[in-house]
Amino acid sequence: MLSSRLTPFLFLAPALIGLVVFRLAPIGIAVAGSMTGTSLMGDLSFVGLENFAYLFTDAEFWSSLQVTLLFNLIINPLQLAVAFALALLVFQQGRAIWFYRLLLVLPMAVSTGLSAVLFGLFLDGNLGPFNGFLEWIGIGAQAFHRNQDQALGTLIGIATWKGAGYWMLFLLAGLYSIPSSVQEAALIDGATPWQRFRLVTLPLMRKPMAFVLVADTAINFLFFAPVYILTSGGPSGSTSVLMYQAYLSAFTFSDLGRSLAISTILLMIILIIVALELRLLRSPEDHAA
Amino acid sequence: MTETIARNPLAVALRYGALSILAFAVVCPLAWLALASLRPQAEIFQPVSEFGWRTFVPSRLTLDNYRALMSGDFPLALRNSSIVAVTTVVFGLVVNALAGFAFAAFDFRGKNLLFLLVIVSFMMPFEAIVMPLYVLISGLGWTNSYKALIIPEVANGMIIFLFRQFFASIPKDFYEAARVDGASWLYIWAFIAMPLSWPTIATSSLMLFLSQWDSFFWPVVAASDPDYAVVQVAIARNINFEQNDWGGLFASTNLAILIGMIPFLLMQRFYVRSLISGGIK
Amino acid sequence: MKLGRRHFLAGVAGAAIMGSAGRLQAQTSVSLSVPWMGWPEEQVRPLMASFEASTPGVKIAEERLPIAELFRTLEVRLSARSATPDVYLVDGPLTASYAARGHLLDLGNLVGGERDRYVASTLVQGTFKDKLFALPLGTSSQLLFYNKKLFAEAGLPEPSADPEKRMTWEGLLDIAKKLTKPETSQFGFAFENSNPYQLLPLPQSRGVKVIGDDGLTATGYVDGDGMVDVMTWYKDLFHTHKVSPIGTFQTGVTQEMFGSGKLAMVLGGTWNLGGFAKFKDLDFGVVAHPFFKGGKPVTPTGSWHVGINPRTAHMEQAQAFVKWMSTRDAMNLWFDLRQYPPSIKQIWDERASTTFVDPVWKIVQYELANTATPRPITPGYREYEEFLRTAMQDIQTGGDVKALLTKAATSIDREMRKYR
Repeated sequence: MLSSRLTPFLFLAPALIGLVVFRLAPIGIAVAGSMTGTSLMGDLSFVGLENFAYLFTDAEFWSSLQVTLLFNLIINPLQLAVAFALALLVFQQGRAIWFYRLLLVLPMAVSTGLSAVLFGLFLDGNLGPFNGFLEWIGIGAQAFHRNQDQALGTLIGIATWKGAGYWMLFLLAGLYSIPSSVQEAALIDGATPWQRFRLVTLPLMRKPMAFVLVADTAINFLFFAPVYILTSGGPSGSTSVLMYQAYLSAFTFSDLGRSLAISTILLMIILIIVALELRLLRSPEDHAA
Repeated sequence: MTETIARNPLAVALRYGALSILAFAVVCPLAWLALASLRPQAEIFQPVSEFGWRTFVPSRLTLDNYRALMSGDFPLALRNSSIVAVTTVVFGLVVNALAGFAFAAFDFRGKNLLFLLVIVSFMMPFEAIVMPLYVLISGLGWTNSYKALIIPEVANGMIIFLFRQFFASIPKDFYEAARVDGASWLYIWAFIAMPLSWPTIATSSLMLFLSQWDSFFWPVVAASDPDYAVVQVAIARNINFEQNDWGGLFASTNLAILIGMIPFLLMQRFYVRSLISGGIK
Repeated sequence: MKLGRRHFLAGVAGAAIMGSAGRLQAQTSVSLSVPWMGWPEEQVRPLMASFEASTPGVKIAEERLPIAELFRTLEVRLSARSATPDVYLVDGPLTASYAARGHLLDLGNLVGGERDRYVASTLVQGTFKDKLFALPLGTSSQLLFYNKKLFAEAGLPEPSADPEKRMTWEGLLDIAKKLTKPETSQFGFAFENSNPYQLLPLPQSRGVKVIGDDGLTATGYVDGDGMVDVMTWYKDLFHTHKVSPIGTFQTGVTQEMFGSGKLAMVLGGTWNLGGFAKFKDLDFGVVAHPFFKGGKPVTPTGSWHVGINPRTAHMEQAQAFVKWMSTRDAMNLWFDLRQYPPSIKQIWDERASTTFVDPVWKIVQYELANTATPRPITPGYREYEEFLRTAMQDIQTGGDVKALLTKAATSIDREMRKYR
């Protein structure tokens, strides 16, 4: 079907040049940098896999890895499910629905860092209105991000508050791409709403779902600002995700090599998980990843 | 599906009931923020023990916090962020949609490898690549310019992926028909594929816009000259470990949210079933 | 295999970049890139404008950055061995860290002969290995602020403002208990936040050493018995006596609580004077920093400094700017803009009968002369502070004191290894 072998590359060129220069080359440098050590005066030396070897013997790294995996194991399916539910709820025409959509997506305009600042105050034990509300209805004030057992859940809640409406939009766009004729055919066949959802909607939503899951996974593995702003990895390490360790290594411990090693490990983990996700949501007609 | 059958009154009531509860939960913190931004500086917070309607409703409304913002450098930051975000959307849409189309419509050597690279491009923490990126940008002499803020952000792996996912769901015979009529691939992309993908264009635009509207760390590193200060930096200046300007923080955050929603309001109308989609398959 | 960072990065980024490194010049007027704190414009620009007026041909492009981003962007640009910034704002205790890594110019020649003009304690933090690397722009101290109305309501006499008759921590706790009313969520006392700057005077007041003499050893100090005792006392404020509100990690929050009458006493810096100004109904008094009975009074000190990037392409102009910052006129203007206790003696003398007749400033002046104790001088202050702050916050929220301090000490020692 190709008229010219060159055509696809002409289409790709502008984006690929940008990606190579501003993302992929720096990523390559970063990965190479994970095998270097820096002296105090900034001299670089090749140390092979020493940074990785150090991390693998570091208890802090392993507990941080655990926190990262736990966080992602919960948040990614959760956000996908909530976003899908919201998308189905607002898949309607009419003025009222427009208004609801607007309300649901409002948080996406709050940057991740600001959402952390906002919730830090909203949930504050001394000034925040939410604890006042909890006391008023009799549940009693909660420590939220100041409590070892609640902190990670609080961060998941904040991220989902911000993300659910945003991801909803992508799924909504997907729902609108499903040909109505397919739905109508199912309707005529007398399928129940659940059957229609499972047998018609869900299979046709594989591609948008794959996008949301992959993009969300990448974003959540790199989730960082709220940890930095709200918990500093605490209380007692309960929210110390790998990204925070990478940040500390680079900006507080001046150990760039170790930081880049952590980032490289993160990249590997994300790649493996994304490959699994794409396999899981692969459409039957798909050949490529 | 849901679109055509939700006429059962109970189902309608359930849907709107659920939506109302969810929307309330989502909006609550923002409503508190918005109302607090209208309070006098000394009354921004209400003690937890005195929870009541006063927690939300100010005793006296004032625009002082907004007046202070408008007389400072916030308008400049709004302008900078708008220029950067809108430019990125315009170029980013074209560049990434072209690439997404190539991945969906063509078969070529190295396709899987290139696609893998596209995916990898958004999986590295920005903190890890900021140093080489800064060396590059300053080597090019781009520091403290719009170029430094815009150009590195135009090509976006996530947006390419998004377009590829959408274009891949359009049957290829759609294009073949046009090819038979002698249309060039660029023509097919511009006049057949793109018009089919309004919802995707809308979401991509939002994604590009918001990525710039929310950006914080890169502008601080690459263009920290006061003339290029962006919205998030202007907002964060209100937070200072010696003394916080809560009123300024709340008012500027509120404005950033409201202005950040304008693209969504413009794009809303594209969330409709595209005309041709009924005919696919 | 050793190669300079710059060559490594530039080599990968492409040879084209190398040639353009020195293209910055060629303008007649030089503009200095100067990262600064994100203080309001009206507290920053006039200072820069005054220098520009005094030195034709040099412009200051000050970059007002939020505090966390100030440190982060400095780290990126300095580590990249970049020619910018030219001059930058240095947080006092980070001087050693920057200096040890070659990011600060030795200012010995610039202000070497003028050390006597400075309040001695203010030069300590800008000095590393006996060389002055960062010039102080003032200093800081902590004071005890109390709400007069709440004292009157509880029938308590107001404490004495005389630093010689300062309260003991034991006495303060008794008073704080009387000022705590859980039914209206009123608390007796709080530190303005839980950073080492605010809390280290506690162990120091009992004569406990907070770091080894080499400035690199934490084990035996950070987790020593003296520290554990003191931090247990700190934890009890929140969990046993319940006189302090849990979660007070930032000054912005305690200011609001004190301002709205929910907190009777707060220990905080002079910057709170500005922060409290917006509370029109607040009537407060100020007394000196408490100390432990049997111990000695110790107050924290240190503030912002200014230093030169040794790789600047505009060395002459950068030096002129920093030199100007050491003048009486510059520092007098700076005090008008932001009221940090001055580091230059002349300003204390000139204003002795005007600004500084206020009892608050009398106390500050006394503390600077008698009790001010800088934070540990160590190239690893960043690491030290990070782990200690985390431990202090976790102690406040109820963690195990000994276990947290031991973990902090181990972590600090691990990260300090590179400075040995």
